[in-house]
Amino acid sequence: MGSKPKKSDYQASEAEKTSAGVAKAERDYFKQKYDPLLQNMRDQSFSDDNRRQLRSRANADTMQALTKGTTFADTQATERAGLAANALTGQMGIAEKSAGKIKNTMQTGVLGTARGQAADAQSGMAQASRLATSDALNRAKNNNLVRGAKMKAIGKIAKAGMSAYGEKFGADEEGLGGSKSGKFFQKFTSAIDDAQRRGA
Amino acid sequence: MEIPRVGYNDQNSIAGIPSVTDPEATYAGITRQDYVDYVRNYRPYEEQLLDKAQNDTSLIDAAREDSAAAPEVMRQSAARSVSRFGANLTPAQLQQQERGLQRQNTLGGIQAISDARIAQRENNQALMSDLINIGQGVNRSSLSQLGSEAANANARGQAYDSAKAQSKAQTYSTIGTLGSAAIMAAFLI
Repeated sequence: MGSKPKKSDYQASEAEKTSAGVAKAERDYFKQKYDPLLQNMRDQSFSDDNRRQLRSRANADTMQALTKGTTFADTQATERAGLAANALTGQMGIAEKSAGKIKNTMQTGVLGTARGQAADAQSGMAQASRLATSDALNRAKNNNLVRGAKMKAIGKIAKAGMSAYGEKFGADEEGLGGSKSGKFFQKFTSAIDDAQRRGA
Repeated sequence: MEIPRVGYNDQNSIAGIPSVTDPEATYAGITRQDYVDYVRNYRPYEEQLLDKAQNDTSLIDAAREDSAAAPEVMRQSAARSVSRFGANLTPAQLQQQERGLQRQNTLGGIQAISDARIAQRENNQALMSDLINIGQGVNRSSLSQLGSEAANANARGQAYDSAKAQSKAQTYSTIGTLGSAAIMAAFLI
């Protein structure tokens, strides 16, 4: 019969412990360095800096295009200011649209990354629960094995006891002598052997 | 909310590597903390974006403001150009210029707002479709996680049922062996 399993034999090796430690350290580093960056990007995505820059550029481009090389005749053309105002409004509209797109791209980028992290967390959780499940299954299997072994042991002990009683108080080789109960246990244990042989 | 630290010890570390005593508990703790962080840091942001994709009118509002402000900007620009040449516009010319500005303001304003409406719809739809893509990914991974949990629960249930049946069969088999042996022994005496 083998010795009892030692818990120490089932503990993680030094390599596994180091691997887990390094993974934890990397994760801590990520949280410390990259999480604040993403939160910073989240806050920046609300900023109007890009919009202001694009509007300034649109305004400058329009003014430069419409006032460059202005002649005296141009100053006397009364329709010119109205047309220029129209052009400026149009350019501003284009700047606004581009700024909106940039903002949306940045915001969905931040959200996608954050959601990606949460999704990683969820799949991590599923993995952790898979580990727990296989643990639970192993535990159940082991319990079952132990229960079966206990039952067998009880049977063996009972049989050994009866056999000993039968040998002491049962009949001799010629079938003579012995007490009634001794004979019973003698027959009983040999019947168990028969039954087990047939079962096998 | 800070999840309690389970399964590792930052204090007892070698060269900055934490000692992980229970990787499973550490894993579960980290993933839970990640979700809590997401809810705290990004859930309101996500809701804000969803609301923006449905209700944002910033382009239209800006077009209204710009079309109202542009005539004044150009009136001043025209005045600067005239003064640069040391000339003046006659009252009739000024009146004509004002009429032109008003006309262009009305027509240009209508066009700018109409263009802004189209651009706004385009931007909002693009944002919404990006958000839906992100949401689909979340939905997909959640369903896959739930499927995995359901499979785990099913495996646990089946293992329990089979263990119960096995145990019952073992008990009955032992009782049967002992019983039949007792009956046989009783008949043989």
